[in-house]
Amino acid sequence: MTATRHPMSGGLGGRLALLAVVLLAASWMLPVAWVFAASFKPNEVLMVRTDGLLSPPFTLRNYENLIGTSSLLRWLTNSAIVSLGQTAGVLVLSSLAGYGFARTSFPGKRWVFGFVLAGLAVPEQAILIPLHRLFAGLGLHNTYTALIFPRLAAPFGVYLMTQYFKAIPRELEEAALLDNASRLKIFLRIVLPMSLPAQATLGIFSFLTAWNDYLWPLVSATRPDMYTLTVGLASIQTNFAQAEGIGFLMAQAVFAGLPIFIVYLFFQKYIVAAVSGTTVG
Amino acid sequence: MSKIPCALGIVALGAVALAACGNKKTEISFTRFFGSCEAEYGKVTDVKQAHGECGIITAITNQFNATNPDHVVVKPQIVEWGPYYDQLSARIVSGDVPTVAVMHESALGDFVARNLVEPLDDALQSVGITPAEFTDQARRGTVIGGKLYALPFDTWSWLWHINLNMMKKAGLVNADGSPILPTTPEELIAQAEKFKAATGKPYFSWPTVNESAAPYRTFLTLVAQQGGVVFPPGGKTIDVRSDAARKALELIGRLYAEGHVKTGADYGAANQAFLTGEAGIVVVGTWTIDDFLTQSKQPGSPLANGYTVVPFPPVFGKKAVFADGHSWVLLKGGARDDKTRKAAVGLLRALWDNDFEWSRTGHLPARKSVIDSATYKQLPFRANIAEISSTAYSVPSDVSHQRAVEVAVGEEISSMYLTKKPLAEVQTAIEQRVGKLLAGAN
Repeated sequence: MTATRHPMSGGLGGRLALLAVVLLAASWMLPVAWVFAASFKPNEVLMVRTDGLLSPPFTLRNYENLIGTSSLLRWLTNSAIVSLGQTAGVLVLSSLAGYGFARTSFPGKRWVFGFVLAGLAVPEQAILIPLHRLFAGLGLHNTYTALIFPRLAAPFGVYLMTQYFKAIPRELEEAALLDNASRLKIFLRIVLPMSLPAQATLGIFSFLTAWNDYLWPLVSATRPDMYTLTVGLASIQTNFAQAEGIGFLMAQAVFAGLPIFIVYLFFQKYIVAAVSGTTVG
Repeated sequence: MSKIPCALGIVALGAVALAACGNKKTEISFTRFFGSCEAEYGKVTDVKQAHGECGIITAITNQFNATNPDHVVVKPQIVEWGPYYDQLSARIVSGDVPTVAVMHESALGDFVARNLVEPLDDALQSVGITPAEFTDQARRGTVIGGKLYALPFDTWSWLWHINLNMMKKAGLVNADGSPILPTTPEELIAQAEKFKAATGKPYFSWPTVNESAAPYRTFLTLVAQQGGVVFPPGGKTIDVRSDAARKALELIGRLYAEGHVKTGADYGAANQAFLTGEAGIVVVGTWTIDDFLTQSKQPGSPLANGYTVVPFPPVFGKKAVFADGHSWVLLKGGARDDKTRKAAVGLLRALWDNDFEWSRTGHLPARKSVIDSATYKQLPFRANIAEISSTAYSVPSDVSHQRAVEVAVGEEISSMYLTKKPLAEVQTAIEQRVGKLLAGAN
């Protein structure tokens, strides 16, 4: 077991590093603080000046206008369903595929793996039209199926899980094989629990990607009752909101980011552990 | 059980069923941009009480839902403005076609060419609307190949919004308080120099960053003012090598190079620069009139009691200014049956009836009787800009992909002044980029 060193204990170098980190964090926080402050300012004021955000007048009107949108809860629910559905699907499929690539042998495995990885090089826009036509042909637009399924093919997830499973010592599985455990049992009881940091990382990225997704929901969920939060919020902006509705835009940004912030508050120790590649004790 | 109560029960049930059938609502989907303002205007049915594009269109919809005698229910489907046409195309492909949709007149030609829009001559005539009632500009924008494809709602155009307080400081105001406007390119440069010398600020503010629409519209305006042609008949080519095009590009480039345009401003910042007195004139559309007027009533504002607006002045002699318009279309397959179609046409009639209310947004009315009315001209500055309905220049409807053309031309003009790309290279790049777009047209 290693003791954690306090950053201040590293002498001048440690202190300078800490200072640099604090400055970086502050510079990252500044735009966030600006967005938050601007969300409480009247649009007419922001149309003229976007400095002086800490001085009056302040208003709650931007939030009132936002919350007064009757479909807001529906969009929030849609986003939650789609994000959770996508995250769960990506985790299951990527874990199974990753384990298969890491631990089993089958003819053409290298080619298939290469084919999956090639998916990383295909931009979303390149497949948008065929994908849209496919779902249109199946009559699935404006359904959760159409919003969730196209994102389940996640080459990055498969790659991440494959590499992680490869790093787990084979001896653990061999011991279980000697005890007549099946592949599935080994996967579920031994390998999967050990891959939690990778699962958490993949889960976070999948959830964030799904939550922030705009392009596919825009063309697939075209009925307002099926909008996700990103599409719904964009739809209620006025045509020249970047000039005449800045406060409202900022309130939208705060509102859209709030669920993610709450998720972070609850799961921060897992998220930090996932990003730093350690486990939560 | 007695037969009489039983029979009475059946009759009563039948009556209820008939009443239910009689009251059956007809739903029509109404796809548009302009945003949503449910909290403020969700229950407003008196259109006169509404303000701004979002407020007025919401109130018109509410009013129609509340007052139409045919139990028609309009369900707005609001989409973000930027990707509106991409989403509309996606909806048509997937068979989820809206009943009534808003459409820019500049986009109408593409949809008509793809056979996606219903002709409206007979339908509109059935509710008493004929193209003879349209302004010249509105008729040009909605009649294609002799057929009427959309109900025009407005004309929006390219204006000079002027800070009279700064112009006064520069000695560029007449005795009656009106601005002294340039009538030649030389006068324009001379005025800009005088303005800068007196105020220390640039004469113009227009979006130069992350923007293609502004330079494109200014360019088309300046060419049209020379009687030039950017899009020759047929819609398959673009001409940016004519004398008129060269002079227009040179003037735009010179204004920027000599420091007469506020630098580094996107759309919002360009407007902000005008409102804070960092520039004398902002070149932007009809839709900002109300906002700027409101600001000019704020004590302490650089615009206080010193705001006016005029059509882009004819610096090359001829009165002409770029314009486009919003219109309403019925897409093929959008109305399930005759009843829905009739309901949709009824909504078009209601929109037409509110053309004056809509003109309070700043856009010019599409209806001749409204633009000629004293009521309209009594609205602030409308008498100044009413002439646009007959002096406007629009890109012909046979030019396809007009949005993409705007981006290509606008980006190249921007690169001329932002990166000092030589004029000849700009002309070549425009020809190549736009040529590809037009060659691939239907």
